Amino acid sequence: MSATVTEGVISPPKLQGLRYEGTSLRKSFDGAVVLDDATITFEPGEIHAIVGENGAGKSTLVKILSGIYQPDSGTLVLGGERLIGLHPHTAQQRGIYLVPQEPSLMASLSVTENLFVGILRRKRVSFVVDWRPMRREASGYLERVGLDIDPEMRADDLSVAQQQLVECARALVHRCQVLFFDEPTSPLTEHEADTLFDVMRSLRDSGFTLGFISHRLDEVLAISDRLTVLRDGKIVMRGTRDQLTRPAVVSAMVGREIVTRVRERGKRDFTTSKGMLAVSNLTLEPYFRDISFVLREGEILGLGGLVGSGRTEIAETIYGLRSAERGSVEVEGVTLAHRTPRACVDAGLIYLPEDRGRHGIFAEVEVTRNVTAGVIHRLPRRGPLLRPAAERRMAEEATKTTAVRMPTIDALMKTLSGGNQQRSMLARWLLAGPKVAIFDEPTRGVDVGAKDDIWTLVDKLAHDGLACLLISSELTELTVICDRVLAIYEGSVVGELSGDDITDARLGAMVVGSVAQ
Amino acid sequence: MSANPAGVESAGMPVDLSADRRGRASIDQVWVWVLVLLLALELLYFSLTATGFWGGGKGMLTASSEFLDVSVMALGLSLVIFAGEIDLSIGAMASLVGIVMAQLWHVEGLNIWLATLIALVMAAGLGALNGFIVAKFGIGSLLVTLATQFIFSSVATAVGGESPPYGFPRGFLTITGTGSIGPIPADLIIFAVLALFIGLLVSRTRAGRSLVLTGHNRLAARYSGVNVSRTLIWAFTLSALFAGIAGIMIAGVYNAARDDVGIPLLLPSVTIVVLGGVDIFGGKGRVSGVIIASIIIGYVTVGLLDGGSTPLTATMVTGIVLIIGLIIKISLDRRAGIAFRDALARFLARQHLGKAPVAPDA
Amino acid sequence: MPEEIGEKARSRFVTILRRRDAQLLIAILLMSAIVDVMRPQFLTSSNISFMLAGSVVLMVVGTGQMMVIVTRGIDLSVSPILGIAAIAIGFPAQNHNLNILVAVVLVILIGFALGIGNGLLVTVAGIPPIIATLATLSVYGGLQFVFTSGLTVITLPHDYVAVGLEDIVPGIPWLILIGAGVVIMAELFLKFTPWGRAIYAVGNNADAAFRSGIPVRRILFMTYIICGVLAGVAGFVYLCYIGSADSTTGSDTNTNLMSIAATLIGGTSLLGGRGRPLGTALGAVFLSVADTAIVVLRILPIWEPAGVGVLILLAVVTDRQSGPAVRRALRTRHHAEVVP
Repeated sequence: MSATVTEGVISPPKLQGLRYEGTSLRKSFDGAVVLDDATITFEPGEIHAIVGENGAGKSTLVKILSGIYQPDSGTLVLGGERLIGLHPHTAQQRGIYLVPQEPSLMASLSVTENLFVGILRRKRVSFVVDWRPMRREASGYLERVGLDIDPEMRADDLSVAQQQLVECARALVHRCQVLFFDEPTSPLTEHEADTLFDVMRSLRDSGFTLGFISHRLDEVLAISDRLTVLRDGKIVMRGTRDQLTRPAVVSAMVGREIVTRVRERGKRDFTTSKGMLAVSNLTLEPYFRDISFVLREGEILGLGGLVGSGRTEIAETIYGLRSAERGSVEVEGVTLAHRTPRACVDAGLIYLPEDRGRHGIFAEVEVTRNVTAGVIHRLPRRGPLLRPAAERRMAEEATKTTAVRMPTIDALMKTLSGGNQQRSMLARWLLAGPKVAIFDEPTRGVDVGAKDDIWTLVDKLAHDGLACLLISSELTELTVICDRVLAIYEGSVVGELSGDDITDARLGAMVVGSVAQ
Repeated sequence: MSANPAGVESAGMPVDLSADRRGRASIDQVWVWVLVLLLALELLYFSLTATGFWGGGKGMLTASSEFLDVSVMALGLSLVIFAGEIDLSIGAMASLVGIVMAQLWHVEGLNIWLATLIALVMAAGLGALNGFIVAKFGIGSLLVTLATQFIFSSVATAVGGESPPYGFPRGFLTITGTGSIGPIPADLIIFAVLALFIGLLVSRTRAGRSLVLTGHNRLAARYSGVNVSRTLIWAFTLSALFAGIAGIMIAGVYNAARDDVGIPLLLPSVTIVVLGGVDIFGGKGRVSGVIIASIIIGYVTVGLLDGGSTPLTATMVTGIVLIIGLIIKISLDRRAGIAFRDALARFLARQHLGKAPVAPDA
Repeated sequence: MPEEIGEKARSRFVTILRRRDAQLLIAILLMSAIVDVMRPQFLTSSNISFMLAGSVVLMVVGTGQMMVIVTRGIDLSVSPILGIAAIAIGFPAQNHNLNILVAVVLVILIGFALGIGNGLLVTVAGIPPIIATLATLSVYGGLQFVFTSGLTVITLPHDYVAVGLEDIVPGIPWLILIGAGVVIMAELFLKFTPWGRAIYAVGNNADAAFRSGIPVRRILFMTYIICGVLAGVAGFVYLCYIGSADSTTGSDTNTNLMSIAATLIGGTSLLGGRGRPLGTALGAVFLSVADTAIVVLRILPIWEPAGVGVLILLAVVTDRQSGPAVRRALRTRHHAEVVP
């Protein structure tokens, strides 16, 4: 990047760089050890990725490194100086910035103000804010992260990708030289992720110290210079990108050999099976238009596409959460006219939403009531009164089917791991006795081991006759488990692949719109 | 399995009460016991200091007529708060119902029970309107009920006119105000029935389950098939209906219907619900807590008024009780309090025939 | 290029029109014009300054309430704070000719102290603001009663009466000067000082604000103190304007709810993060004009609260952020889209 020298614009020279070392870090929560004797070093001019399953401790590690948690023992040394009692705001002052998974800007404030929050420039009279120099400097910083926007724009008028870049810019404004990214590409499209990676590389080349958590192995392997693998709170593997191979990393993460099973029944022809879900010309501008397909008994049909291509909106419309402009939905030949979630469930159609935390679980409620939440009107009762003991048994059986690991069935949902929460959700919907199931990113935020379990479970359900619509942006997932895949690009079906034709390459091309159909 | 619940291992993970194994359920139940303790202390105090408290004259039971109207109102309000909303219009509603009933009886000459019925139906309808606006338009209930509170109170004043009616028939007064079956006042019977109804509704019916889940996470409830709009509408309907019943009870006790009796009752109602352990953000809490809290606050108020304090002083003390109660409750949730809370929970658990925890599959 | 300039000017105009303050100003002018047509004596200069003066109490309280609401809080105790301030200086003024400047300092101190009570409950005890201020509403209300012991302030020294009713310069009443002064100071504070900006930051995203070094708790505490102080000042204004005070001052005019109404009408969002003193001031003026219009048009005053209720609902429907969802819901037959 060439350095531009204009008044107030930042032209970063190559930094001295700060090395950040965490030594023998240990953390427990209420008796359970989450991080055990973790030692890790972040060098300047490097992108260092931390990988591991959910619950492996990588999130905890990064939170300790950025001051959100205080370690029970261990030391943090930044640039040769020991950090004592690191807290979120002092971390930023010391030069450590955490770019969170979901950008958290101040929505109704300008980008400029977002950049300078906490360090507003003052006039000579120190209690008066001076806006002019800030506006000038803001442009410079935004340019540095590749954002060409008016700094006076309101933050909530920006896209998620842009907001994320503003977070990066803010880190620079606060003179932070150590940046951590927590699952940064989760809310981004592939294109936006590439832009982010470009920015990260440019920051690395300028001498910043970058740390990066991700569960997306492909990205990690593509962009990082160094990797550290965590498992069960311990560091089990370290190395530079050149030293490590994908299978080795996966092995280290899981602790056992993962053989990705391709769905055995992948080649079966379903055209003669009973049609369970028939969607015709479903349209809801501007999200999607003219979506038509037939999903048959026992079939797993994938909806592939980039984040934002409209698939979740399609699912929400089928399920009755949104009203379509036109088009129809039939379950087992019966048209569902005024669709509501309840009407769909009663007709045998269930939906497992993508955002488990917001749309799925009741965090402060115990597992029993979470699991029975989909069948409230069918709960065991005597007259109008519910029977708690019978309900409990109902929930216990359901959680056994999906192998939910929990302290007891009275435990609050929030104490379960991501994978187990997802299994609880599955249990909930299986209780409803569905004939058609829509799974929206069912293995998002779930560790590799549990992913496999969930795929196995879906496979078995399909084998037993459940018609499955699987929405996913992970090509691997679609390739592994679907009988047929529809590619969705910007709200329209742009292609269809079946059986052996489903490959990463073909699918990957379709979802970015490069194959016209 | 060891007899000590706190030390049980299961699948290698030490089970620990403070890690929310019983968690929120525990704190809800523990709080109810704290309230019971407070009530016991209060009753003890009154029985020592107030003469004839336990029988005859201005005893414990007859005194209850004076505060049960607020208790009924709080019961209805708790439904709305369980759903994660708030209803500021209940005070105005109580006055409105009282006045409408009185006017229908006095001016239109209707039978007083028919007038009461009509007034209550009107209350339910207005409550449904509140709920409808909140559900359909997505406008926060604080705003909506703030606005409707203004509107209802205007209407009450308008309908009531210069001098609202008073002097209701004896039968009416007996049933809603001053009568009793044996030593038990009629109002107490009304309250007990309503309390039982609400208690069962919230914890043991499908509708109540929908309500509580809506309060915990409205979106998740919707995705689970709960008809959130309908749930909110009937919560507000019942809230208004109960406020209306309270208005009738007030008219019965004071033998008059005025436009300003209701609004001062909003504060104590909210106090009772919050003190009773219902989370202002929805979902958490027990109806039993609300019932006990209403009795606690009730006797405090009546005790003060009888002791010569003014209504404003009574309100002030209510406010102080609320503050102290909340501080205690919040500290039970924080680090220091957790140990105490767990000890209490373990003590209570030993009283129950606890089931051994289900050993989960690996 | 002239077309471009015209284009720019037009879109600038539209953007300004979208702003709540502009809308309110237009609404006020429209309303006055209409009423004036119906009752030609409405828009006399004395009536205008009467309406403006009458709005000052609400303007001052509303400004403090606005700041609290921006931080996603609420202050229901402003009524008794106003009342206590009014009687605390009212009786000494009446009985011992309390110096007016000392009175001003006193109300500020009283508001400060009572605001601290709210601040402690919300930031230290962690009680949600609606409950905390509901509690202080009862406690302070009781205190107000105790302090007055049933008496009423009836007469005031000339100084106070002058502030309440007279002009500082012919045509401009003292009250308007005070009101304008408060609003201008609030605007400057919120736009140009770090603490003022911090209030918006906290209201938008308290977590991010904390990580950026903003002492969130301290800012929240400060907000409740400012609200208390302004309520106290409003008590002074009230006393001068109305000329009397007693144990129900503040609560009889439903000041707490009206201050919320004024700031909501003025464009503040109950969800926090947005709001301007100017908007709140216009909201207060709007309510005052509406109030006078009701009297002039011989509409029964008992309908005034109903009118306020309708106005609040209108304010939400026309609000830039929450409005579209509401209007969409009005068009379709479905219930409010839960899915964002």
